[in-house]
Amino acid sequence: MFSAPGRLCTDMDLLAFKQRILPVQNRLFRLATMFLRNREDAEDALQDVLMRLWTNRQQLETYQSVEALAVQMTKNLCLDRLKAHARQKAVDQVDMGNVVAEQLSPHRQTELADSVDLIRRLMNELPDAQKLVLHLRDVEEYSFEEIEQVTGLSINTIRVTLSRARQRLRDGYLKLNDYEAEY
Amino acid sequence: MKPNIDELLTRYYEGETTLDEEKQLRDFFRHPERVPDHLRQHAALFHYVADAQLQQPSADFVANMDHKMGPHPVGRIRQLTSWGMQLAAGVAILLIGFVGGRFYSRWQPNATDPSVLAANNEPEAASMKKALAFGTMTQTSASDRILAVNQSYELDQADREITQLLINTLNHDANVNVRLAACQALLRFEREEGVREALIQSLRIQKDPNVQLTLIEALVAMKEKRATTHMQWLARNKQVLEIVRLKAEEGAGTLTNVSNSPS
Repeated sequence: MFSAPGRLCTDMDLLAFKQRILPVQNRLFRLATMFLRNREDAEDALQDVLMRLWTNRQQLETYQSVEALAVQMTKNLCLDRLKAHARQKAVDQVDMGNVVAEQLSPHRQTELADSVDLIRRLMNELPDAQKLVLHLRDVEEYSFEEIEQVTGLSINTIRVTLSRARQRLRDGYLKLNDYEAEY
Repeated sequence: MKPNIDELLTRYYEGETTLDEEKQLRDFFRHPERVPDHLRQHAALFHYVADAQLQQPSADFVANMDHKMGPHPVGRIRQLTSWGMQLAAGVAILLIGFVGGRFYSRWQPNATDPSVLAANNEPEAASMKKALAFGTMTQTSASDRILAVNQSYELDQADREITQLLINTLNHDANVNVRLAACQALLRFEREEGVREALIQSLRIQKDPNVQLTLIEALVAMKEKRATTHMQWLARNKQVLEIVRLKAEEGAGTLTNVSNSPS
């Protein structure tokens, strides 16, 4: 039975592929959601990336980090799609409630949801590099070395980009909040 | 705790915090009711992050992906089974052939397949008798009978039955080659009783020049004087081929000389 390496190997491929890619799948989805701001579009992009990785599974061995490759592919794909469609739909708000502690009043919950939504809008206005670095660092908790692997930027540049992104979000939030508070 | 958070926040906005420190900040802001008013403006970013961290593709999507990658393994498994089936079919055909062969040889006991007979461990003599048994000629092929005749070479000594069988074959087989083979086989048993006589008798029976020539040579080599008259008869027989007549005459001459020689 084991004398047919070709066929069995591809079976093993699927197993190995799933073991390597599936843990990354959620990360790729979050990244795509951040860029595309829409669940359906994000799932669509993720599917594309996974299928591409699956088709090229033979070459995956040659890459140092499959995760870094997958993240890069997802980023590029999302940016391409944004360029192509230039349309923006708000991300579904379905997951919103998760953060909010249950004992909070409905008013406070709405306020929190609004603030998160505000950050989301501000995020969208950041340059792509800042978006990516902030997302990888804060959402995915990547180390600077890992971000370096994905973006190809130097650690110093990453630090500066990250700092700028965080400050811009803070400043933008303050500005919008003050502005909205006046009404 | 508060000064610590203030200091962490400052470093956070400078991009100087470690992953651990950032985790502390997120944990701190996870409980909105504990966040003092002056820090509330920073909470939104951490809430956004906490929210984003929870997002994952829908179950439908995951199932769909499994399905999309599914056809490949399914195709492979199908290939594998068909490959396995091919193997099984090959083995089955072999087995059917083997069993069928055995069954066939048992069902038709007179037919002989030397390999099957050998596998049965039957003594050569018995299988030979089976193959050459009188009346089975129509059921066996010439090559089967030659094989059976040649099996006699494996016998150290032949009994009356075997030699009689060979003699019958020599005289009555329809195929020249079988008769020749029987003739040569008989030469090995020239010491057995009746064999020489049979060979001599056969001189008159044989019609094929090949067998006639072989017989003449053999009898001359055996110095069988009793064959002289038969050879002279052959030499005079107009129906016999010229070369055979010459050979018979020569043989008869040789045998007469031998008998007349002083030694």
